[in-house]
Amino acid sequence: MATLLRLESSTKSFGGLLANRDVSLAIEAGEIVGLIGPNGAGKTTLFNCITGYMHPDAGRIVFDGHDITHTRPERICHAGVARTWQVVRAFGRMTALENVVCGALQRTNRIAEARARARELLEFTELHGRGDMPAATLTLADKKRLEIARALATRPKLLLLDEAMSGLTPIETAAAVTLVRRIHDEMAVTICVVEHVMEVVMPLSHRVVVLDYGVKIADGAPDAVVRDEQVIRAYLGERRAHR
Amino acid sequence: MARTALVIGALAAIVYPIPLQLQGTTYYQTVGFLVLLNAMLGIGWNVIGGWAGQFDFGPQVFFGIGAYTAALLYVKLGVDAWLGLVGGVAVAAVVCAVLTYPLTRLRGHYFAISTVAIWMIVQPIGSTWEYIGAAQGLFIPVKTHSTIVGAALALQFSGPTKALGYYYSALALFAVTLALMAWVERSKLGFYFRAIRDDQEAAEGIGIDSRLYKVIARSITAAVFAGGGVLYAFWALSVFPEQVFELNWSTLPIMATVVGGIGRLWGPVLGAAILIPISQIMSTMLGTGPLAGRGIDLIVYGLIIVVIAAFRPTGLLSLPWARWVRLERPAAA
Repeated sequence: MATLLRLESSTKSFGGLLANRDVSLAIEAGEIVGLIGPNGAGKTTLFNCITGYMHPDAGRIVFDGHDITHTRPERICHAGVARTWQVVRAFGRMTALENVVCGALQRTNRIAEARARARELLEFTELHGRGDMPAATLTLADKKRLEIARALATRPKLLLLDEAMSGLTPIETAAAVTLVRRIHDEMAVTICVVEHVMEVVMPLSHRVVVLDYGVKIADGAPDAVVRDEQVIRAYLGERRAHR
Repeated sequence: MARTALVIGALAAIVYPIPLQLQGTTYYQTVGFLVLLNAMLGIGWNVIGGWAGQFDFGPQVFFGIGAYTAALLYVKLGVDAWLGLVGGVAVAAVVCAVLTYPLTRLRGHYFAISTVAIWMIVQPIGSTWEYIGAAQGLFIPVKTHSTIVGAALALQFSGPTKALGYYYSALALFAVTLALMAWVERSKLGFYFRAIRDDQEAAEGIGIDSRLYKVIARSITAAVFAGGGVLYAFWALSVFPEQVFELNWSTLPIMATVVGGIGRLWGPVLGAAILIPISQIMSTMLGTGPLAGRGIDLIVYGLIIVVIAAFRPTGLLSLPWARWVRLERPAAA
């Protein structure tokens, strides 16, 4: 397997707070990687550094053979990375279809072609029938799906999902997990998911990376990671780890 | 339905001045000219303000640049008005792109303030630069044309058909602007502008260069304002700094856009068609007689705008017209 994304000692601090310290990790083409960690562990900062919204203070980020450490977000998207947002950022006053058209226009200049592609993706994400609704009027679950459809429209090689399942009901969560699997299987997209819900990450991910206080404390198969003493300590506290 | 309305509107705009001209009045042609000019500017402002969502309070800078460029070309080099229009539009778009690129680092109120700041810098330049006539401005000498075709080709109408000629010139420029912006709205540009307006970070995340597209949006606005400026210069036969850089060249089109419906192609058209005649009626009704000279007309005019803005901030076009129009028809079918 070829390495699609490689972080080499990525470090990012905000004033005195080290959000990411010497984080090194690799994502292979075709993987689903889960990125977990307690609140404030630096997961979103890591996503922001990969997608160019922030630039690491030190270290290097390489995507598909290109150094993207200091590249702007739109260039990184052109290179083949797409993301969704922890707090949804749909284009509220545009319709659901138009949202996805904006993404599809990255790969074509023809509106008709972009529309056709957008319709396919709304179908794929089971949002057909909501195409003409203003995005602001969709439910949270639908907005999250819409963000995924819009991201997929840019034809990414790597899709970063920032808490795509948080705040959803159990039924909606199950549907979202199915969607992520289908994106991986049917579209051959490599996926990295940030998630709080363990029941979701563990069965979904091929590999899990754990961050705590900005440092990578574990990286491995899900069943190995859940038994890792450091991970248990980070999630449940000192006393339980010693029991 | 929409097509029928468009045809009726177009016919009305073409036929409107003819009976008036036959009666020998010219006042209403000039009102029509001002409606079309402000509607055109409003359509232009809608690109940066309505679609791209960036509040630009300094487009009158480009109105002036267009007016000056065409006037200079005409006075110094003898270049015809329509070629001067092309020149003015091009110069304004390029100057706008150069000035705006650094501003796109700013967002929200700060961007709006910076557009005002540029206007404040341009004003003294206009009134002190000797080459462009400084405070005296430029006069555009009239060449009389024996035929109406000659006058139209030179954009110089005089005599009893002056107001009529400029009315149709404004109608032509308005129609071209409307058609071009209708195309922009449906193109990739229209989608990208609105994406940046709704969420700049998300737009960048799907590969949209927000700074580049803001510059493109404002340059389109600048190009439309420059076109309006050239038309105005040849109508007024002069270009003065206080006149072409006047704040009203942005406030009126912006008010027309907001009253009619911001972000909607026809919003500024409806807004201008309502506001300009009201301001004219107010000044003829209240600007004379015992109350004259106390600004009552402007107070009433201002109140009308406040009422519309307070009760329908999304503009008159956002009212449920479709439902009302259907209600009038018998529900037979």
